[in-house]
Amino acid sequence: MKQPAVVTLLAGGALLALVPWLHLPAFYESILYLVLHWVLLATSWNILSGYSGYFSFGHGAFFGAGVYTTAVLAGKFDWPFLATLPMAAAVAAVLGLALGAVVFRVRGVRGEVFALLTLAVTFVLATIVLNTPIDGGPGIYLSGVQVPRLAPTQPGTFYLLALAGAVGALLVAHVVQRSRLGVGLFAIHDDEDAAEVMGVPTYRYKLVALAISCALAGLAGGVHALFISYVTTGEVFSITVPLTVILMSVLGGTRHWAGPAVGATAITLLLYAFTKGDLALAGKATTGAVLIAAILFMPQGIVPWLLSLRRAAAPAAADAAPRETVQAPMPASTPRGEALLRATALTKSFVGVQALAGVDIEVRRGEILGLIGPNGSGKSTFINVVSGHHAATSGAITFEGREIARLAAHRIAHAGIARTYQIPRPFAHLSVRDNVAAAAMFGGAALSASRARAEADHWLAFTGLAVKADALPDALNLHQRKFLELARALASRPRLVLLDEVLCGLNPAEIDDAVALIRRIRDAGTTVVFVEHVMRAVMALSDRLVVLDHGQLLAVGPAAEVMQRRDVVDAYLGTAHAAAGH
Amino acid sequence: MLLRVTDLEVAYGPAPALWGVSLAVRAGELLSVVGPNGAGKSTLINTLAGLLRARAGTIEFDGHDITRLPAHRFCAAGIALVPEGRRLFATMSVRENLELGSLLAHARAQRARSLEHAAALFPVLRQKLGAPAGALSGGQQQMVAIARALMARPKLLLLDEPSLGLSPLVVQDLFAAIRRIGADGITMLLVEQNVATALQIAQRAYVLEQGRIVAEGDPESMLSRAEVRRAYLGSEP
Repeated sequence: MKQPAVVTLLAGGALLALVPWLHLPAFYESILYLVLHWVLLATSWNILSGYSGYFSFGHGAFFGAGVYTTAVLAGKFDWPFLATLPMAAAVAAVLGLALGAVVFRVRGVRGEVFALLTLAVTFVLATIVLNTPIDGGPGIYLSGVQVPRLAPTQPGTFYLLALAGAVGALLVAHVVQRSRLGVGLFAIHDDEDAAEVMGVPTYRYKLVALAISCALAGLAGGVHALFISYVTTGEVFSITVPLTVILMSVLGGTRHWAGPAVGATAITLLLYAFTKGDLALAGKATTGAVLIAAILFMPQGIVPWLLSLRRAAAPAAADAAPRETVQAPMPASTPRGEALLRATALTKSFVGVQALAGVDIEVRRGEILGLIGPNGSGKSTFINVVSGHHAATSGAITFEGREIARLAAHRIAHAGIARTYQIPRPFAHLSVRDNVAAAAMFGGAALSASRARAEADHWLAFTGLAVKADALPDALNLHQRKFLELARALASRPRLVLLDEVLCGLNPAEIDDAVALIRRIRDAGTTVVFVEHVMRAVMALSDRLVVLDHGQLLAVGPAAEVMQRRDVVDAYLGTAHAAAGH
Repeated sequence: MLLRVTDLEVAYGPAPALWGVSLAVRAGELLSVVGPNGAGKSTLINTLAGLLRARAGTIEFDGHDITRLPAHRFCAAGIALVPEGRRLFATMSVRENLELGSLLAHARAQRARSLEHAAALFPVLRQKLGAPAGALSGGQQQMVAIARALMARPKLLLLDEPSLGLSPLVVQDLFAAIRRIGADGITMLLVEQNVATALQIAQRAYVLEQGRIVAEGDPESMLSRAEVRRAYLGSEP
């Protein structure tokens, strides 16, 4: 069976659908409805916020949009109840898309800013609903609305609707986690800029995830409107909804599709187990204590904790998957020696600082071009601008004849340019192999998930990291993390690779190995631009050298020639190296 | 003997990073620890700064056993760390960064003098005191990191990869400054990938490999050992 989780979900759902015919007391059917209601809501929240790390406090707004869509259509316009549900999902999704289209464009809106912004949306929406004919103040009564009989009792009907929603949401969450979208969202979670530069269309992915998340929340709202049968803005747009779903998801585990469902079930049942009698107060205290303990001892959440126990119990079977042979980088479309990349009058200004003041740099196909200069001379800025991490202020960059200066970073990656970061930026929660596989999936190579893993193994072997494939980046030392950066860049099979100080922090013997590695990369057909301060490596590797100083071109030419120029010695090398330069 | 480490063992979870490391730092000397990446050099320096707990062994500083003290007490005892990657408070001004280095009572009392001393050591910083630390060039940031550690008036300065990512000219200046700090009588323990320079300016050196000390001696004798040259100096001089 290829997808045991899907089969289990569908079979479990079918089995649970029989519950209304057991004729349980209505009280139990209502509790079961609430469990499934929270499973649906928490799972929907997790698809954006858990996977991508964009914690939304605005889930109440999208849930409320669904509640009021159904309340208005069924209560005021006499739509049949079931027909309002797709509308509830659609209205919430459109609301989410409109919000996302604005906020996801702004780089500054991340983390706590995003959380606060979504919370504000909830209050804005509540105010609009309260002060317009949508609600107008008194709330909307829905006791007159006809609920179709899907089960022997009305609570049974709500139970079945919530069950369908919960199973559907879990299927969606499962499919998303296994898809490119899921890998992309996890990458965004760990390092959004690095993900974008690697080729993940971050804006589109966040928007899609938000739309799915909102639609499911809207659906939950639509069903819930009739369940409570009297809706008011105060109840619907409360802070309780987002706080509860966050707690449930974190308790169950946000990095697994089933985590929020487990958390929702646990919390809902705990709360209702203690509602009766004198135990209510003691019960709430116990619930709180249980939650604190759970989060202290299982910070990753229940589901990941259980999975880690299982992994520990069954020692990993050796990965015997056959290795596909992977051919070297893409075929060249321009012959060796011609201009591959050309930057013309390129400038980049930050507030008060001109990091690049109009430079012209040509990179020729098949060469290793060294980029040197004092700290702050614009070397890293050049790499940041070419890779699309920063937009150029003015000037042009053509790559294989195509203008790329105005493209988004992920499109530049697709065009065949990859880079490394001076300070390694691995995706901390993905294994070493998955880090490299993500690059193969989203970069210029655009491989399928399974081919990407084979490609990843190839590059891990190439960089000597094969033994660490299943480890998390945390377990690597600096040397290995640098090589992970390199493997990630190469896995997208770039035609141009930009290396930002891959050698810094390595000792001379390790540098010799790395120099040999970089030569092999070039020999396999990839053009290399590298920024470096380690002069022995610069001299050993560079076909040509470009020297930058204060954002301007100081010198270009064959390495030995450039290194002897008086101005280069004064600005950069100092006397010690000038003497040793020959 | 300012610092004496005996049979030190440090582990990350079950994985040991240092096995029975013993070393001594004499008052006033500049000691280099060299070795490949992953040998445990940063682990050693972080343990000596109190950031990591020793699983076994003792750290004696200035005649006191400080093995079990919390990190801030290491600083109070007179050990200051210049961490790898500088770790400045990027949005705070250079002056604020430096002042944060002198929070302890005895250091606070001499804050003005320490600031003047830092400015004398790194004249470039004089004009940069009001600038946010994150806006400085890499070399200047490294100077702030060293000056911040000196503001605590330490007896022992721990330097973890100070030349990381700096251009040759800046590295040259930086090592000149480290020599001047040594001339002022401050004891230093230096971890550095730039092995040739690290051995040139040190009075004594240890070689650390896979969590163990494998060699100790004066730098000239280290430089003349074939296996050290092969392992750490690469093919060229």
